[in-house]
Amino acid sequence: MAQATRTAAGVVRKAAGTGGRRTIWQTVWRDRQLWIMILPAIVVIFLFNYVPMYGIQLAFRDYDFTKGLTGGEWRGLHYFRQFIDSYLFWDIMRNTVTISLATILLGFPAPIILALILNQVRWKRGKKVLQTVVYMPHFISIVVLVGLLNVLLSPNTGIVGYLLRSMGYEVNLLASTTAFVPVYVLSDIWQHCGWNSIIYLAALSTVDPQLYDSAKIDGAGKWQMIRHIDLPAIAPTIVILFILSMGGVLTTGFEKIFLMQNTLNLPVSEVISTYVYKVGILSNQFSYSAAIGLFNTVINFFFLVATNYIARRVSNISLW
Amino acid sequence: MGWMLRKRSAGDALFDLLIAVACVFVFLIVAYPLYFVVIASVSDSTMVATGKVWVWPRGFSLFGYSEIFGDTRIWRGYRNTVLYTTLGTFVNLLFTLPAAYALSRPEFRARRWLMFLFVVTMFFNGGLIPTYLLIKGLGMTNTIWVFIFPFCVNVYNLIIVRTFFETSLPRELYEAAAMDGCGHFRFFWSVALPLSKAVVSVIGLYYAVGHWNDFFTALIYVRNNDLQPLQIVLRDILLSNQVFQSGAGTGGDAGGYAQRYADQVKYGVIIVSTLPILLVYPFIQKYFEKGVMIGSIKG
Amino acid sequence: MKRAWSLFLAILLAASALAACSGGKNDNGGDGSSGGSAEGDAGRRVKLTAIMIKHALTKPLSEMEWLQAAEERAGVDIEWEEVTADWDQKKGALLSAGDIPDLIIGPNAITDADIAMFPGLFQDLRDLIESHGPNVRRMFEEKPETRVLATQTDGSIYGLPKYQRYWPATATRQYINKEWLDRLGLEMPTTWDELYDVLVAFKEQDANGNGDPNDEIPMDFAPVGTGGFGFFHPTVLLGSTGITLTNGSGQGYFMEDGVVKNFFVDERYKRVVQFLAKCFAAGLINPEVFTQDYTKFQAVARGEGDIAKVGFTWGWEVTDRFGNTLAPQYVSMPPLKETADSDVQVSWDYSYEALNYGVNMVVMSAKSKNKEAAMRFINELYDPIVSMQVLFGSIGPNIKDNGDGTYEVLPPADPNMDPGTWKWTSTWADNGPMYISDDLQLTLGTDMQSVGAQTEPLMPALNAIDKENDVLPTMFIKFTPEDNSTMALNNTNLMNLAMAKFSQWITSGGIEKEWDGYVKEAERTGLPQNLEILQRYVDEYKRNR
Repeated sequence: MAQATRTAAGVVRKAAGTGGRRTIWQTVWRDRQLWIMILPAIVVIFLFNYVPMYGIQLAFRDYDFTKGLTGGEWRGLHYFRQFIDSYLFWDIMRNTVTISLATILLGFPAPIILALILNQVRWKRGKKVLQTVVYMPHFISIVVLVGLLNVLLSPNTGIVGYLLRSMGYEVNLLASTTAFVPVYVLSDIWQHCGWNSIIYLAALSTVDPQLYDSAKIDGAGKWQMIRHIDLPAIAPTIVILFILSMGGVLTTGFEKIFLMQNTLNLPVSEVISTYVYKVGILSNQFSYSAAIGLFNTVINFFFLVATNYIARRVSNISLW
Repeated sequence: MGWMLRKRSAGDALFDLLIAVACVFVFLIVAYPLYFVVIASVSDSTMVATGKVWVWPRGFSLFGYSEIFGDTRIWRGYRNTVLYTTLGTFVNLLFTLPAAYALSRPEFRARRWLMFLFVVTMFFNGGLIPTYLLIKGLGMTNTIWVFIFPFCVNVYNLIIVRTFFETSLPRELYEAAAMDGCGHFRFFWSVALPLSKAVVSVIGLYYAVGHWNDFFTALIYVRNNDLQPLQIVLRDILLSNQVFQSGAGTGGDAGGYAQRYADQVKYGVIIVSTLPILLVYPFIQKYFEKGVMIGSIKG
Repeated sequence: MKRAWSLFLAILLAASALAACSGGKNDNGGDGSSGGSAEGDAGRRVKLTAIMIKHALTKPLSEMEWLQAAEERAGVDIEWEEVTADWDQKKGALLSAGDIPDLIIGPNAITDADIAMFPGLFQDLRDLIESHGPNVRRMFEEKPETRVLATQTDGSIYGLPKYQRYWPATATRQYINKEWLDRLGLEMPTTWDELYDVLVAFKEQDANGNGDPNDEIPMDFAPVGTGGFGFFHPTVLLGSTGITLTNGSGQGYFMEDGVVKNFFVDERYKRVVQFLAKCFAAGLINPEVFTQDYTKFQAVARGEGDIAKVGFTWGWEVTDRFGNTLAPQYVSMPPLKETADSDVQVSWDYSYEALNYGVNMVVMSAKSKNKEAAMRFINELYDPIVSMQVLFGSIGPNIKDNGDGTYEVLPPADPNMDPGTWKWTSTWADNGPMYISDDLQLTLGTDMQSVGAQTEPLMPALNAIDKENDVLPTMFIKFTPEDNSTMALNNTNLMNLAMAKFSQWITSGGIEKEWDGYVKEAERTGLPQNLEILQRYVDEYKRNR
């Protein structure tokens, strides 16, 4: 290794001398400090993420314990076909996409709006209290969250049920197929909006206060300041996070949906992750679960790459 | 001119009013369920379940808390979790921040394909079994290292930091520094990091909360009771009080004894497990003060 | 480019080589400690490792006196890992890495499917039972069905079963509020129509006498899961139509005259659903019955002080269901007839086997270094006196030895605690391997006695069941992994359809219109295939008996 760097150093000097086109080694040498900075991350990612990746082939093989993970009979796309042909396939795909798209459409803008609002609060104490309060629900475990929903939304005894009844709506929010997605999404926003707004608040803190002052002198109202100063400041973060969230079109939380499921909302609440849990736990379907997981992943990744491409074209901001 | 001023301030007043209304609305919506968790943790569970508890605790009792704190494992759990969280977060930042800096430099040629390779790992993984075999092979099972090193670079967080570095460090800044003979190491340490306290504290918080809430690592990789973190202990307590929900179905006898307090424990556990990490937030909040970064450059 | 790669790879290889070294060292250390002392070593106990899947309430194993004594008698010293939660998640990694301790103990902790999926991981115990397992042999001789439970299709024995003798023939008992009946001057109902009238009276009048005629819930039942029915569900009404449920028949399968059927596509199930829908439409069933969780289901029945809220429901035991205050108001009720002129022999849910037997309670690692010692310990657990303590707790604090060969289960030390909780707290209870011999003379605690008494009204129906031809023997059947997974996949489909329809029909009606289409749809879920598979296994099981 020492040898390699020494020769590389030589190459750089020579190249610099001749003024020719830089080779790979020259750029590596030039960026050697950057390489050293990123090397630990590369090692960790390679070791813990890439090394076990051979396990992906399980989706194409039978699981055979005696022959090891990679020794089972090659089944090609058998398990993928089994999933696509399965009785519930279209139902669970529709449910999964509905829930995750609703989560993205409503859940994504919410923390941005919250951060912009918080950023406008001038009463410092109040702002701090509010900020801390909205951040807390993130720490409520899903079991407790669903327990809370059951208690508060109960049509007979819950406070939300009571409020709805007093406004003349006689509905059981826990029982209807139409209310399931809104309840899921809104409770998700309730829980994570404050937490997710933190990153936008951090981005907003980098805005130079002088910009506001000069905008004020130019006669800009508060709306305009948000539009022309705040939003541009957090735009790159918004775009990046949006790309990432589009990589989750087929991802829904497992535990929450599973716990919220009841026989009345089952037609809209069975999603890929709960289905995998049910078939996987019931009968050790390692290969089948792996195939469904991979199917999921490929579609998610496709959406991520596509969104990334569009973002790159439109805004010149992208993941890579 | 005077007319315009008045109009503008009228608009701004309306705006301020809207903001105030929105804040009160958000506060009430978020705070009531939180308050409910607190009163439910000291009320009779039967009354909670039947909707008798709305504003004040009823059937007051501290049974849930005495149950939680009566478990001796909880203090060891706290100690372990604090250790894993501080050490783990330190290692996370040590690995993530420099990497994010490198990836944010436009002149770094390899950044695009490295980033791509990193992003791939957010989606594709080999599954639990090969990962378990690897970590076992590395001799990390049943050690504290399994909480620290595996997956210590979270690509999501890496991307956030990188984006932040890209947008908040003016490009001219490095060029100017490089003229003065400042390398990347020094620039990172004495310019980039101090300018990015906000994002460093956010990512530190993300990592810390991740460690704090993590029970899966312990569940799969740790069999030694002395190494169990708080979340595993609390999960056990929680489950031992929820068993009556399924106990009867498995042909045993469900008891009425703990039934009355099952939910007390459920809500109490949330409070016990999150209070310490909640207390961290106000300390890092100050880094989000408007303009605090800019001030530090000038200062 | 190439060189950059090779440099990169070299570093990584070096890193992983280092890692591999440390891994190897660790393995050796592990082997050494689990090897323990040699067997012949007098006075020293053999070290073993074990996982116990215990109930979340159960106290630490080190505090169980009977267990310490049993280990000592077997000459072993066991390092226990106590698992209370998430065993299924943990198990996958442990088994596929082959990383298991000498013993794994717990109710079906290692399933037949696991044994089939991980060949070579578990020890075939046949020879060890012959040489070191007299108590296990005794169980097999006295209760031959336990041998059937233990034996795989190829004759090997990996997991040992349990027999706990004292549990009733059904898990579900039917309760009605006698005080309400008396207050309103009503007779105990005997048919569906009479039940309907009684429930209407409960609803319309102030049955609990607190002055509010609207706070009574005439009927309630346990939350219905998305994966099928369980105990305490209205499916027991199928008994009125002559269907015998086996162990709750969660996914609908039952047997009638030796033929395997599924009630989800049976006309009689349609009639039960129609009856329930009629009740629901009339406001007789708790409107939250499909959305409440188990806590609330139990809490509601505990009423307010001495004011009861629920009129008619199902449960395990009366004090468990209604709490000590309200329990005296309720009585256990015999099964209903469908109509007054029905001449069908009524039946009930028969769950004697599920309650009294269990499979794969203990398995041994094939890699264990001390198989004889491990077997000695297992054998110790199946000693009738030890088994009794596995189930109810140590002699001394939990069980009284009367000195004349008879024993008595003691009431809880804490008078506020119920006997069930006491048992689960003190010992492995139902989660342990055990053989409660039929000659054991043990007086049970009050909880078990009252369960027995409350089962009495159901006994005529339970006794009338033709156990040969009307009880589905699935518990005693071992399926091949292929059939097992086929059935599981089909059942997931079927439950998705059927459970959703069940609740939808009850809450909003429509069964008359949709029934035919639903039956056709159920065929598509793979139900006929499952019936065919089950029938094949049942026929074979009967031939071999």
